[in-house]
Formats: sequence, structure tokens, C-alpha cells
Amino acid sequence: MADAEGSEEDASLAARAAEAVGGVVLEALETAKVGVAADRWAEALRVARDDLGLSFFSWLSAVHWANDPQVGDALSAEVTERFELLCALSDVTAGELVVFSTDLEATDPSIDSLIDVFPGADWHERECREMFGITFAGHPRPENLYLPNGFVGHPLLKSFPLLSREVKPWPGEVDVEDMPEVMEGG
Amino acid sequence: MTMAPDMVRHLSGAAVSVELETPDMTLNIGPQHPSTHGVLRLVAKVDGERAFDVQPVIGYMHRGYEKLSEVRNYPQITALINRIDWVSGYANEIPFMVAAERLMGVEPPDRAQFIRLILTEMARISSHLIFQASYPLELGAATPLFFALRDRERVLDLIESVTGGRFHPNFNRIGGVKPAVGAGPVTRKTIQDLPAGFLSETRDAMDQVLSTADQLEDLVAGNEIVLARTKDIGVIPPEVAISYGVSGPILRASGVPFDLRKVSNYLPYHLFDFEIPTGENGDCWDRWWIRLEEIRQSASIIRQAVDSIPSGPLQAKVPRIIKVPAGEIYVRAENPKGEMGYYVVSDGGLGPYRLKIRSASFSNISILPWVLEGTLVPDIIAILGSLDFVLGDVDR
Repeated sequence: MADAEGSEEDASLAARAAEAVGGVVLEALETAKVGVAADRWAEALRVARDDLGLSFFSWLSAVHWANDPQVGDALSAEVTERFELLCALSDVTAGELVVFSTDLEATDPSIDSLIDVFPGADWHERECREMFGITFAGHPRPENLYLPNGFVGHPLLKSFPLLSREVKPWPGEVDVEDMPEVMEGG
Repeated sequence: MTMAPDMVRHLSGAAVSVELETPDMTLNIGPQHPSTHGVLRLVAKVDGERAFDVQPVIGYMHRGYEKLSEVRNYPQITALINRIDWVSGYANEIPFMVAAERLMGVEPPDRAQFIRLILTEMARISSHLIFQASYPLELGAATPLFFALRDRERVLDLIESVTGGRFHPNFNRIGGVKPAVGAGPVTRKTIQDLPAGFLSETRDAMDQVLSTADQLEDLVAGNEIVLARTKDIGVIPPEVAISYGVSGPILRASGVPFDLRKVSNYLPYHLFDFEIPTGENGDCWDRWWIRLEEIRQSASIIRQAVDSIPSGPLQAKVPRIIKVPAGEIYVRAENPKGEMGYYVVSDGGLGPYRLKIRSASFSNISILPWVLEGTLVPDIIAILGSLDFVLGDVDR
């Protein structure tokens, strides 16, 4: 039910949010997305919580934009290698949701922790730290959440190989046969 | 057995001379404790009967679905994601399918949307019936389990009759649904549909679920022991729940009437009448009651949907090879355990460039250190059970 009305609502929500936090509207389908500067990250999300009523902490994660990935298909166009940190906030009345985004450098990415604004950011930031290697300054427990202590590497980096695929390549197209014309019911 | 006199003197002397103070003890719960619904480990500091600084240790079920999704195409990913929350596997598929369909600009036919809605609500009923079975059991009442699991089995049978699977249906296709092959030979040209008698059997099953809900209420709601174990235990104020991203029945038990089925359009819920039950205190009791009431609401939605299901095709026209145009979208749905959403970053390929899975239980149990601070040790079990999480949904 992708109607134009919904997209317009999202566009006006994104514009409103961008103005309030001093950011820019970014493109996303039926999703309000707002880019903010990394040095204003925690402040912008505090404003979103207090002035826009986006008090529900939905999730926080990142995207590693990189060329020549070890897993999956390469991007169709060259990109500057960087991390895009994403945080989705929502209200709990009308269901308005805004995804905030900021770019971090590819080497030694670091940003202020949101834990003083949203206590719920605690685990999300720990997950993001171990999966991408992003440092959250001011996080009280920067320990691994999923991975064993002493694990080397950050699994969600595009440069991190998927070891099971290295050991045994995916059979992929070998498995694909034409479907039988007549299937016997059981 | 008699004690040596000097031992007795020693003990009495200690009691007089030393201030009575119990040393902190570290109590390790799990990861293989039956009340933890999987492999959750809690490390608690215990002073006497009270627990402090409780730290959950998760990750025992981490399967790396976000990474695995990057090497799979969209139809393959549905087989992974209905293993996230295996108690309501069907419901996990919906937001991902909707996200991929919207990026492609495909809209499933009405009948397919109704079938999705009916099965999603059945998944909610089966998930809440598991809670209604296990929660009283954790508090020491075994009887409700037999009523709840009997009905859950009937609901699972209905899901199985349509999808071919009880737990992992893998039933949605981009642009529609694909029922399991029924009796008799079916050619590719034959339109597959719901199995014969499904709708009338569903009506009967919903009648039974509703009467069982009344029985469960009779069994549990008047039980003084249950009331004593759950009333005013594990209270979560609404503002705390919101700031932790706690969603679903737990949020509503805290008095916040927020339900994505009412404000989002991922399935045609606006066609049906249903209420959002909310609690008053946000305690364990309210969380139990909310899930009982939601069973009733879901049964009512299913009855309305069965009565008004349109006829027509089950599958929209889609290309044989699914390629999703470049773009980003976040679609979230009201799952039995709360907000479940997928942030899909597509570069126009066969699979997503990045898939962020927002699961309800992960955020829901991140509140554990807050809510367990200073509680009595036996209440830990009551509170854990009332949060109704699944570790597969936590770790992903």
C-alpha cells in the first residue's frame, strides 16, 4: 500500500526534523531520514527527543560503505569508504519515525555515546562497537556483547570475510534447476 | 546431632561482637536455566535476599543473520529471518517482505494481504499462548499449561495446513503468498489457494481460543499466590520503557497505548475493529493480563478477516529473478513481542547491501539491569518470565 500520501507525510516529517536539529533531509523510501554532523550527534538527538517528541529509542546501527567487499556484491558505483551511523527514533502516539544519520571516517571512527540521552542506546552501541569497530566516547561498558572476549576483527565490516563461504563456496546456481511442470501433491 | 560447645560459643560470640552484615555474593544464573527461555545468563550481586547490579550476558544464540543476509538474495533471506523469533516465526517475515515489495513498487493482491494478516494474528496467538502456558508454570502453577498448549497446537495445525510448516513457514513470496501444495496433483498453471475447510476450521478454533482465554483467566486471575507473586513486582514506568526502546505488550502494560497495527499500514489492519489493551501499573500482573487480552483481540481480528476475506489471486506479477532497485527503507511491524523492523539498504542487486534487523526482545531485555536492581531473588524469575523474550530474537 505504497501510496503517495504516505510519502508526502514522511517528506514533511523529515523536513520538520531536519529544521529542528539543524540537519539535511536525506533520501529514503517512505522513511524520514535526516543527516546531521557527527560533532552534533548527541545534541541533535537530544533536540529530537525534547522538541520533536521522538522519545522512543528504536535502534542504532551502522552501514560500512566500502568498495571491493569480501562478501556480497560490489556497489554499482565507487564510494568514499566511510561509516554511516544510523539511529531511529519514534514517538509513541502517531507512530512517526525518523532515521538520523551521520558519516564517520573510515579509520578510527569515533563519536559521542548517546547513553546520557537514551539509556536504551547502551546495548546497541556495544553491538555497533564490536561489529564495526566504532568507538563510542563516554560509554561506561565498552565490552563485547555477542563475540567472545579477545575476538579479533569486526564481523560486519565489508572487508571481513565470511569464513564458512571461504571454506566451502556456496553452491548457488548449481542447485537451481527448472521446476517440474507437474508437482505431485502429498 | 550436637554441636561442640566451643563452636556454639564461637557462633554466639560472633553475633554479638560483629555487626550483622552479609557479604556480597555473586550469583550466576544460566545460561542453561529453564526460566530463561533459552540461553540467557545473568550475573547478579546478591546481598541477602536482594539482587544488585544484575548484568545480562547474551550472545550464546548469535548466528550473524545480518552478515549472512549480505551473501543471500531476497527470497533466500526469508528462510533465515523466520528463525529469529521462532515462537512466532511467521510474523518475522512480514516487515522484510513489505520492505522489499515497497522498494520494488509491488503490491500484493488483497487476498494475499488478508492471508498474511490472518496468519500473523495466529502467530501472535500461538506466541501469547506459549506465554500463558509457561509463565504460570514458572510461578508454580502447572494447570494453565495444558489448556494453553492444547489450543496452541490447534492454531499451529492451522498454520501448518496453509504453509506446510509449524515454526518456520517460509511462506511469503515477494508480491504475495504461496500456500503449500494441497491434496491431489497441482500443475504450475493451477492457482493454489487456502486448503479446503480452512476458513470454517479457523472460526471453530477461534471460538475455542476465546473460551480457553476465559478458562485461563478463571484459573490464574483469582489465584492469590499468583497475585502475590506478580502485583507490584517489576514495575516499569512508561517513560523508562520508552527511553529503553521497550515495545509491544510490555510498553502497553506500562500504560502507553501504542500499537503499530493502529498507526502503520504494513497490513490492512485499518479494516478491522480491535482495541489496544493497556495496563495501569506496568507490573508483572499487567504484562500477564495484556497478553491474555491480546489473544482475545487477535481472535476477534481473525474472525472478522475470515468473514470478509476477498477472493482473487494470491500473487502479484513479479519478475522471475527478483532484483530490488537501489534505495533505503525501514519497515516495522507490531510483532507478538514488540517492534520488529528491517532497515534495508539496496544497491539494485539480488541481495541487500546491508540489512539491519531490529528485533523486539533485544531492546526489551536491555532494561533488565534497570528493572532487576534491588529486587528479591525469587522475583527475578517472575520478572524474567513476564518480559516474554526469546533468545533467538535477542541475539539474531
